[in-house]
Amino acid sequence: MTELRRDPIVGRWVIMEMDQPMTPKDLHMAPHHYEDTANCPFCYGNEYMTPPEIQAFRNPKTEPNTAGWQVRVIPNKFPALQIEGNLDKRGLGIFDLSNGIGAHEIILETPYHEKDLPDLELGEIENVLRMYCLRSKDLQKDKRFKYIMIFKNYGSGAGATLDHNHSQLIALPMIPKNVIEELNGSGEYFDFRERCIFCDMIRQELDEKERIVTQNDQFIAFCPFASRFPFEMWVMPKEHQLFFHDSSDSDIASMARILKEVLAKMKTVLNDPPYNFIIHTSPIDGEERQGYHWHMEIMPRLSRIAGFEWGTGFYAVSTPPEVAIKYLRDARI
Amino acid sequence: MPELRKDPVIGRWVIIAVERSRRPKGFKAPSHQTTEEDCPFCEGKESQTPREIFAIRKEGSAPDKPGWDTRVVPSKRPFLRVEGNINRHGRGLYDVMSGIGAHEVIIETPKHIGNIADLDETQIAKTVTCWIDRFVDLSRDERFKYVLVFKNYGTAAGAGRVYHSRSQLIATPVTPKRVKEELFGSKKYYDYHERCVFCDLIHQEMESKDRIVLDFDGFIAVTAFASRFPFEVWILPKEHNCDFSRMSVEKRLYLGKVLKKVLTKLKIGLEDPAYNIVLHTAPFRRKKAKAGYWKTIEDDYHWHIEIIPRLGSPAGFEWGTGFYICPITPEDAAQYLREVEA
Repeated sequence: MTELRRDPIVGRWVIMEMDQPMTPKDLHMAPHHYEDTANCPFCYGNEYMTPPEIQAFRNPKTEPNTAGWQVRVIPNKFPALQIEGNLDKRGLGIFDLSNGIGAHEIILETPYHEKDLPDLELGEIENVLRMYCLRSKDLQKDKRFKYIMIFKNYGSGAGATLDHNHSQLIALPMIPKNVIEELNGSGEYFDFRERCIFCDMIRQELDEKERIVTQNDQFIAFCPFASRFPFEMWVMPKEHQLFFHDSSDSDIASMARILKEVLAKMKTVLNDPPYNFIIHTSPIDGEERQGYHWHMEIMPRLSRIAGFEWGTGFYAVSTPPEVAIKYLRDARI
Repeated sequence: MPELRKDPVIGRWVIIAVERSRRPKGFKAPSHQTTEEDCPFCEGKESQTPREIFAIRKEGSAPDKPGWDTRVVPSKRPFLRVEGNINRHGRGLYDVMSGIGAHEVIIETPKHIGNIADLDETQIAKTVTCWIDRFVDLSRDERFKYVLVFKNYGTAAGAGRVYHSRSQLIATPVTPKRVKEELFGSKKYYDYHERCVFCDLIHQEMESKDRIVLDFDGFIAVTAFASRFPFEVWILPKEHNCDFSRMSVEKRLYLGKVLKKVLTKLKIGLEDPAYNIVLHTAPFRRKKAKAGYWKTIEDDYHWHIEIIPRLGSPAGFEWGTGFYICPITPEDAAQYLREVEA
């Protein structure tokens, strides 16, 4: 028998396979394979191959766009959106359109070609997270932007086009639809109950303990009740926080710890799968949305999305979160 | 300069990379699974499937025996099961119900052919008749609110190992989110304009002609203005109708023709890509339903088919935002498809 579960925030239903859940073995992942180390534009010494850097953490006395950096931010060579110009929204009959203003940056997490985020030292991961915050704060000053999305595609199965590990940041002139749905859902909940739905969710997860992968003093990582994908995980600050970029040094240290642990567990259990993560944070349009709570969603790309999912927005999940965490919790890392 | 476009029905923004528009050859089409010797869907293998629910058969042939043109069987690995009660309940903050529904497979040909584009239009019309017959039958089951008819062709589109042309349908006990968004979007438009947004869209497309792929026999095929995917094509009946199951026998044949033509153009133009098809129609409307919930649906909604070639896989940005980046403009895609001889 399957079970239908509803995401309490956006109201999306998912179909969960309860009787014969798929195990990591059934999901057959071929481990990630690094190629193309020779001419990688993201490696040490090849800095000239990328557009000039926007910001970097580097060794003292090293010049921009030379070796000696730890984290380096560059504009995307093929940006989905362009930074120059004014926003020009217009109509075309019944259609609405706008020019593609925005920022699209690449965050090089490490100079080492064959290291993914969880392979880095805690201090190095902290630097990556700190850089995310710095770039967000900088772009927040640009009044044209309403939203900043930080995300990562790891492996070609997750849409990565370059092998060397990196994450990306896109600043958008409008709030994206998925975020609006979350804002509306959590906003309605807050209006009625005067409580944050994410805080309530954390409380229920801590009570039930059925879906928690791991936690520390400041963060919790769990497989969401209405997961869209097998082994989907959410990482959240336990304390109510609207903006990711307001994270303190101690928040960043705790987040680095939990992120390293969670990604390493996923790597072990699922044989180094392709994955995406995204940070959902409050919009930067000046409005304060008390019912929102920033979080990171991690999605291993194990199953293909087919016609049913596209047509309905209804996901069928072969591994319930309660089963997934058994593997994740016991994973030796 | 890339362009941002908003879907007029549900309000989803997409990024269209106008200048970087890749030529269609730049896409690598995923390859298909190989032909299987022991295909369970071929004529003569009826015993390998669950018992048939419906079939269009030659006179005198018996169920679950050869002699059929199209055949509907329950899915062997159903997402949802037909037996039982819905049993809605809460678990703290979370809502749950049992996985009740129907999941059926429509086998579109007795021959071992993989792509529906290679069937003739009368055969495709018979598939449409199966969709309609099953839709009408399932509408009598009060537990169901919606039926999605869809198709996965090629492994990259989520099709299984068997290479035999088929579509699927799933009846769900709730109206799916993506469908609801469309329904609400159309209703909102109708409440203000007192016109159907899809009819307006058809008029505008016929005037500008930029995105038209085909236009004949009462159907129009266009590349969507705010395409999420390269070469995303929508097929709409030009005459307003919210419910596809009312299609006359004659129109089913026309739809068969249009589907064949569009899918053949995709097959030739994009080198046999994997694709998904979904059919969006009005949900079941029953007296019991919340008063006024879908009061104007007859006038505000318009059934249609969406075809999505699977040329790239959406990455983190698309999942996280619901904001799609489409690497080719629908105008270029339409022009390319118009020029493909099919």
